[in-house]
Amino acid sequence: MKNIKQILLIIVLIMSAWNCSEKSSNEVVVYTTVDQIFSDPILKDFEQETGIKIKALFDTEETKSTGVLNRLIAEKDNPQCDVFWSGDPVRAIILKNKGITIPYNSPAASDIDDNFKDKEFHWIGFSARARVLIYNTNLLKSEDVPNSIFDLIKEKYKGQVAIANPLFGTTSFHFASWFSSLNDETAKQLLTDLKTNKILIATSNGDVKKRVVQGEIACGLTDTDDAFVAKNEGAPVDYVFLDQDDLGNLIIPNTLSLIKESPNSENGKKLIDYLLSRETEAKLAISCAQMPLHKGVQVPVSIPSLDNILPMKIDYNLTAKKLEEIQTFLKSWIEEN
Amino acid sequence: MKKTIYIITIFAFLFLVIFPLLTMVVSSFFKNGNFTLEHYLYVLNKGTLFLLLKSIGLAFAVALIATLIGGFFAFTLTKTNLPMKNIFKLIFLIPLFISPYIIAVSWVDFFIMFGNGKLFIYSPFGVIFILSLIFSPLSMIIISSSLANLSARFEEAGLMMTTNFKIITKIVLPLIKPAIISSFILVFVLSISEFSVPAFLSVNVFTTEIFTQFSAFYNYDLAVANSIVLIFICVSLLLAERYYLADAPFLSMSLKSHKVKLIELKRSKYFLIFIHFSYLSLSVIIPVLVLSIQSFQGNEAIFGKAFSLLSVNIINSVFYSFTGAIFLLFFGFVFAYISEREKIKSINLVLLITFGIPSTVLGIGLIKFFNTPILNFIYSGYWIIVIGYLGRFIFIAEKLISNTIKQIPLSFEESAKLMGASFFLRIKKVLFPLISDGLFGAFLISFIFCLGELGTTILVYPPGTSVMPIKVYTIMANAPQSLTSAMSLIVLLITLIALIFLFTGHKILTKQKWSLD
Amino acid sequence: MAIVSLQNISKSFGKTPIINNISLDIEEGKFTCLLGSSGSGKTTILRLIAGLEKSDSGKILLNGKLVNEKNKILLPSSKREIGFIFQDLALWPHLTVYENIAFGLNIKKEENVTIKISAILDFFGLEEHRNKYPNQLSGGQQQLVAIARSLVLKPKMLLMDEPLANLDVKLKTKIRNHIKNLIDQFPITIIYVTHDHYEAFKLADEIIVINNGKIEDTGSPEDIQKSENTFVKEFIEI
Repeated sequence: MKNIKQILLIIVLIMSAWNCSEKSSNEVVVYTTVDQIFSDPILKDFEQETGIKIKALFDTEETKSTGVLNRLIAEKDNPQCDVFWSGDPVRAIILKNKGITIPYNSPAASDIDDNFKDKEFHWIGFSARARVLIYNTNLLKSEDVPNSIFDLIKEKYKGQVAIANPLFGTTSFHFASWFSSLNDETAKQLLTDLKTNKILIATSNGDVKKRVVQGEIACGLTDTDDAFVAKNEGAPVDYVFLDQDDLGNLIIPNTLSLIKESPNSENGKKLIDYLLSRETEAKLAISCAQMPLHKGVQVPVSIPSLDNILPMKIDYNLTAKKLEEIQTFLKSWIEEN
Repeated sequence: MKKTIYIITIFAFLFLVIFPLLTMVVSSFFKNGNFTLEHYLYVLNKGTLFLLLKSIGLAFAVALIATLIGGFFAFTLTKTNLPMKNIFKLIFLIPLFISPYIIAVSWVDFFIMFGNGKLFIYSPFGVIFILSLIFSPLSMIIISSSLANLSARFEEAGLMMTTNFKIITKIVLPLIKPAIISSFILVFVLSISEFSVPAFLSVNVFTTEIFTQFSAFYNYDLAVANSIVLIFICVSLLLAERYYLADAPFLSMSLKSHKVKLIELKRSKYFLIFIHFSYLSLSVIIPVLVLSIQSFQGNEAIFGKAFSLLSVNIINSVFYSFTGAIFLLFFGFVFAYISEREKIKSINLVLLITFGIPSTVLGIGLIKFFNTPILNFIYSGYWIIVIGYLGRFIFIAEKLISNTIKQIPLSFEESAKLMGASFFLRIKKVLFPLISDGLFGAFLISFIFCLGELGTTILVYPPGTSVMPIKVYTIMANAPQSLTSAMSLIVLLITLIALIFLFTGHKILTKQKWSLD
Repeated sequence: MAIVSLQNISKSFGKTPIINNISLDIEEGKFTCLLGSSGSGKTTILRLIAGLEKSDSGKILLNGKLVNEKNKILLPSSKREIGFIFQDLALWPHLTVYENIAFGLNIKKEENVTIKISAILDFFGLEEHRNKYPNQLSGGQQQLVAIARSLVLKPKMLLMDEPLANLDVKLKTKIRNHIKNLIDQFPITIIYVTHDHYEAFKLADEIIVINNGKIEDTGSPEDIQKSENTFVKEFIEI
């Protein structure tokens, strides 16, 4: 008996020691939905340059960021996280509406267009991705590639287009953007026509990319980073921006939010300032083709720039509101055959 | 002393697992502070009911197929003198060590490489196909341990009267019926709550509905209400089983050597070997091959990169899973003892409910309950992961252990008690040595399950750390396929190494000269 | 004074009554048989005396000391100084003959364990088997080990639950003689449960016939053989 007690005591001591050893006062906790393969190197750079220890929690859009967002919501009463780095404004807006974030108007973002910021500075956008049409070059000749969202409902693309589940992530925002930039009627008609044209609903943007890469389907709507990575890996794919004549192509910035009553808010602000810098934007441009929102950031030629594409003009807050309105409609849209 | 342990264990479990779940369940009955059944009534619409039926149908098919396949191979690998059967047995288990999601990915890739079968794999049939491959090893374990426990006497008695075939259908099958039903139920519960595979294959099922409520609508209450419906089905299945098979073993894991009657194979040997190879190529070789091909499509450094990404997590993962398995063993043993020796069977029902609860609900429940300033020391450390493991797998651990306890006559402990041995001494000197193999089996299975746990862990793991399945999962997006595949192979390898370690350790520690016969 | 006294004991498992308001006394130093068919409740009486079960109502006295009242156990089994031979013998399969016998002695922290064990092994003619495991012994040898294991602790009484049930006729006779011998050597109270009336007549000083949780008749083997009780008459005729 005595022995068992002693052994147990030792085990407990070791375990609690293990627990404590990772605690340090100079740290910052960041939750991110940006793919770890892109976000991790930048966070490591911050750690090295400032000496502030990063504790990161990664999630991925492939899993609809369920882990991080549900966690932020569930942790509301006793926040553990300082900074939320989101791959799109939708989730930042959800958190704002749930009262989980606080305003922080970072000086580092002073020359970023106000359209990419929350009016009350609950989130600030940087490095943007665009929604693009990725297509398989073996299956579609360049002259056959659709160049408007309205091309996708044409007979010749029947069963040839894929899109991710519109209840989640950037795809949901993309759908909402049609509702906020067109009118409800036109947008609904567009959706119905897409369904009639046998659009394939994939599980995620990564899945859309994969299916196009593998030649399972001719083309699909996805994000620039997915298309860019696929092209870089040498897959037989290319991508185009849609509706360059009038409607414009949807631009989706990364966003940063400061969490309310967070444990290390001062370090959190430092991290936000760091991430909003031109250097970060340049790095993200190289690693995953994200377009800098600061003016005049040097990027490689192969990477698209906001200077030469026509962005869709939308109000991000309004679009987020629209998204909430149409969610039930979208759910039934997916389920109908 | 005995009572103190019971009370401490039960209260610890209530506190660690049941209360967090209860907070979720209770809140699903309220809306804006008022009691309501609204969330539950919502489940009862045509769409969700249809999904529910679909899920039940899928799970039923998977349970049936997996039990048939597992049963068949359990039979050939336990009851015949098939050459190389021990090697076969080991390889058959491999699908259990790879995450279902990865297996699904590799199968889809296989069909794409093959250029055909796309329609098949992206359909409910594809889901059934993949889940059956994944869960049949589990059926095999359950049924073969029951077959191994079958004393040769029964069959020898039958042999006097009739042929081999009749003996199988008339004597062996009825005797292992409990194991067959157990396998069916366990696989049913596992497949009806499986999310990643149907989601990846774009097949809408009931768990997708729960997931949507969580991740698109952030409506926890509705998600919980949905999961309760799922649990209700699982529990009624278990009750039905109880009704038909009063107290038959649910899952038994004895590695003990009984005399097993082997069937001599003659010419059919070659045919059977062919069948085993064919099935192995289906369940193991193809997925592993696809993963290997993909890994080698990357540059040579890909394994190095995959390993360096994982290396920080290996020790964490193994350590957490080890701790988790020890906890599962402790709680599992006490609950099994209460259920078997004190005959309080209702404990099984409570544990089944925790098993049926989706991992996400458990994760959120744990956050809501433990993420308070007072309990922060638990929430911010790795303990919360271990608690997650406990909630997820205690049912399996308890079942495994209670069935080994069931095989030990109560009189062994009673005679020690009459000689003045205390509760501790009885457990230590009499029961533990007798069930050590079963305990080890339970430990091993718990360890494997913990090592692969994703659903709850992803919600509760402390920032700045990670474990292997999460690393693979979060890196998967936008990492080259070769990297993900290489990582999956490494995880598989590490799991196998850990298992070999545990097995050798166990072999060295327990050299057994006695037997129960 | 009776060494065991049951007063108005009742016991049921769930809704099935097993023992129905039984009172009985067992005298010290006697060989008492509880005789009855299976399911009559005789094993339960044995387990109640040993403290392995609680009664629902009634009292149990050992040596005049109250050990069980209503549904409370006042003296735990481990302190009742009772030896119990289970029907399945309950020899621990993972321990050798020696270790099986040493178990109780070590718990009681007795001295000269080796000598005591050697003596009892010798008495039962088991010396050559001391390092064997139970599964390496014949049925009769296992029987003897079980008895030796209990007796080495010098219990006040020995409760035996159909110990000969699984043995063949020849062995039965042999072991029975052994048990007879034993009683002559060790002055000990034995309560012996059996469904075999021949066995009861051969061994017992006193027989208690039990049926459906009630006592049908009590007395010496001669008394029972001459019993007028219809149940007893029928039972011993078979």
